[in-house]
Amino acid sequence: MTDKPLSLNRRQLLAAGAALGVGGLAAPYVARADTPELRITGWGGKWGQIMSAEIGPAFEKQFGCKLVIDTAFPFLPKLQASSRSAPVYDVLHTNSNEQWAAAEQGIVEPKIDARLVPNMADVYDYAVSDKIIGVSIFTSAIGLGMRTDKGYPPVTSWKDFWDERYAGLRGGYVVPVNSLGQALVPMCGALFGKGTTDLDAAYAALEKLKPIKLVDFTGAMEKLLLSGEVGICVIHDSGILRYDADNPPTAFVAPSEGVLALEQVLSITPGSKVKELAHAYVNYMLSAPVQKKLAETVWYSPANKTVKLDAKYDAKLLTTPEKVAKLIQVDWKWYNAHKDAIDSRMNRIFRA
Amino acid sequence: MNQLGFGRFLYLALNGLVLFFLLAPIAIIFVFALNPTPYIQFPPVGISLRWFEKFFASSQFMASLWLSLKVAALTTVCATVVGASAALAIARGGLPGVRLITAIVLSPLMLPAILTGLALFQAYVLLDIGRPLWGLVAGHTLVTVPYLVRTTLALLHNFDTRLEEAAQNLGASPMRTFFEVTLPLIKPGVIAGAIFAFIVSFDQFPVSLFLVSPGQETLPITLFNYLKYDLDGTIGAASVVSILLAALVVIVLDRTVGLRSYVKL
Amino acid sequence: MRARRLNRMALFLLPSAVLFTLFFFLPIGMMAMMSVLTGNPVVAPHVAFTVRNYARIVEDPFHFEVIWTTIRIGLWTTFVALLIGYPLAHLMARVRSRTAHALLLMAVLMPMLTGIIVRTFAWMALLADKGVINQMLAAMGLPTAQLMYNEFGIIIGLVHIYVPFMVLTLTGVIGAIDERLEQAAQNLGASPLRAFWEVTLPLSLPGILAGSLLVFALAISAYVTPILMGGFQIMTLPILIYQQISASFNVGFAASLGMVLLVISMALIVAYNQMLALVSGQRELQ
Repeated sequence: MTDKPLSLNRRQLLAAGAALGVGGLAAPYVARADTPELRITGWGGKWGQIMSAEIGPAFEKQFGCKLVIDTAFPFLPKLQASSRSAPVYDVLHTNSNEQWAAAEQGIVEPKIDARLVPNMADVYDYAVSDKIIGVSIFTSAIGLGMRTDKGYPPVTSWKDFWDERYAGLRGGYVVPVNSLGQALVPMCGALFGKGTTDLDAAYAALEKLKPIKLVDFTGAMEKLLLSGEVGICVIHDSGILRYDADNPPTAFVAPSEGVLALEQVLSITPGSKVKELAHAYVNYMLSAPVQKKLAETVWYSPANKTVKLDAKYDAKLLTTPEKVAKLIQVDWKWYNAHKDAIDSRMNRIFRA
Repeated sequence: MNQLGFGRFLYLALNGLVLFFLLAPIAIIFVFALNPTPYIQFPPVGISLRWFEKFFASSQFMASLWLSLKVAALTTVCATVVGASAALAIARGGLPGVRLITAIVLSPLMLPAILTGLALFQAYVLLDIGRPLWGLVAGHTLVTVPYLVRTTLALLHNFDTRLEEAAQNLGASPMRTFFEVTLPLIKPGVIAGAIFAFIVSFDQFPVSLFLVSPGQETLPITLFNYLKYDLDGTIGAASVVSILLAALVVIVLDRTVGLRSYVKL
Repeated sequence: MRARRLNRMALFLLPSAVLFTLFFFLPIGMMAMMSVLTGNPVVAPHVAFTVRNYARIVEDPFHFEVIWTTIRIGLWTTFVALLIGYPLAHLMARVRSRTAHALLLMAVLMPMLTGIIVRTFAWMALLADKGVINQMLAAMGLPTAQLMYNEFGIIIGLVHIYVPFMVLTLTGVIGAIDERLEQAAQNLGASPLRAFWEVTLPLSLPGILAGSLLVFALAISAYVTPILMGGFQIMTLPILIYQQISASFNVGFAASLGMVLLVISMALIVAYNQMLALVSGQRELQ
């Protein structure tokens, strides 16, 4: 009575095990029969809309694959938590600061092989400089944005942001979580101290910005400026220019000391199983027609030198080597090494 | 009599103020859902349905609305089964350490959902499960079970056990007593808890933040992300639709089951 | 009321036991592990035990400030929610008309149905410097006030979200109080106020405790509302935890902060149970 059930069970178990084993062996073959998936990250808003409407489907068609786009920021913690051999993304699209943090942790490849991405030969120097991990596909310029209907005097320098009249009307970012906020820190060091690495001068300068309204994302800053909650803010040109059609009383100012680069950067994960597709995607994003389409939708400056934008965009974006040379690229490697200390200080400075 | 009248007036006035406090922001949402300007502006400039059009036209919003409803429905079923049974076990099972068990079962309510979300995400990644739908439902179930336990327990505690005893005295087996006396009597508590589970799951944010996979976002996540880029009336429209949908559910339930004494925590 | 001996009904605990073990204890246990390890064992080659993360919390007085801010906001939210929730709960429990009750219930459930993101933005629209209230004040010639970007705004936002929880917890308890007790007190000469103060209120104490515990626990775990209403300039524990995860990528440190929050919450539950035992003697309203 007790033996029979046991032996039956054992047999059933073996049979099940065999089935599973066969199934396990067959699985990869079955999976390969489906279309390959390329998992990437991307922004939402206008970028996300055009990606899912046009750019994405065109890529899928051309390369016979499926594009899975994660738009739920933040991306790095998810990539960080996944294993090296099975990363949650194949291509990581984010700002330069996060790319450096990712490279530091070994979860993205520091450089992309230009032989596998032919279009990389056509990009400006900044896009593959030593300040960039992977390759930059677009950039915007970080400067000052302001209301034009409040009777403010003309603004020409970064230092005008500290002017008394703007107390309580300034807009800034939560430094620990935002690239523009972070970029401002070394800038303050350069403006008021001995250089970009003079953190003490930077802290003192940032303290003087209070009272200030903080946001964590440029989209929110755009709205603050549009609704009049702030009169002057740190913002990238794209954030002002994208409302061009509505003609609001806002303007972008490129300060005389120079604008900071907010690069859109792509990098590839070392554990990706579809490296060929990943490189093809990077190449695709750097191709002239795609660059033109995206640049004109969200007002980003294309990294590809050969792209010809329509006159309206060409006038305001950085589309010549001379204009591009004015970009100041932040040393994110240095910044990330000091990030914890800087964040700690920022949290303390900017509390109500 | 005057004092009574004045006291009563004060009582009603106070409640009126509280109700106003509760409903004013809702009114604002309705206003912005209908205001055509693409950022929050007061006073509103007009009435327009453009945001509703945008909301219904957006495949992303529709997909996430549908997913939220699906997840909420699944969560409600799971949480009802798990929570109601736990309440029964706690109230009638004669278990030792009942207070500890109750505290544990209620703890997901007390603990920061953001931690629960992160912990689950790490666990799923560790076990190479990825972020499947059932993983999301499991997370939601975890944080909604406490509501079902609370409402069902509240009813079980105030239960007149003499009804059960009477049934057994009349010859019903414990099984039969359970199905024909106990279950029907706790049904209102279970339903009330299920309503909470549905609402909480539909609106759940921190757990979903970690457990949704690309292209499969719940409505709160989509709204939150949308707000990073676009602070326009579409969120108002999304909200009005959610309110009306959920209100419909509650009204229907009130008419059919009668929620009066049972919707309490 | 409750079975004295273990019986078959105890088996009903199995589904929740399975759910909790797999999806709660295991993950939280893993998080506790992460808080004492130098890295993520799944992805990093060599990890060792460390108390670095906890030492970091203690070393910097800013963290105590964050913890205290979190608790303080929780306490204020609970207090205000109780103050304005009680009258409404009382009305809901005592109102005779079924329609009136249904309407009140709808009014109470509405904020919950709206969705936390949108609700918070509605409050921002109301309380911002150029928001509805300030614009109305300016139109009337009165001085404008800073109603958000501070703790006041956060508390208002949180109270709005959690008052329904308080009301729904209280209304059941108040409803269970026999009205004849109040009437008896009044027949004996007490004013309605005194009858309330000396009869109704003490009898509703278990509900007050339950509701307060719930609201406090939810308030100290809140993320979306404090960050938006505080204008990113008020730091609470959940905000710091999330920042450490999403922007500083210090999962171990975030885990240790999470453990602190967990301990606070659990201490609450224990304290609540103690108070309840004191207050209601043998009767236990879970």
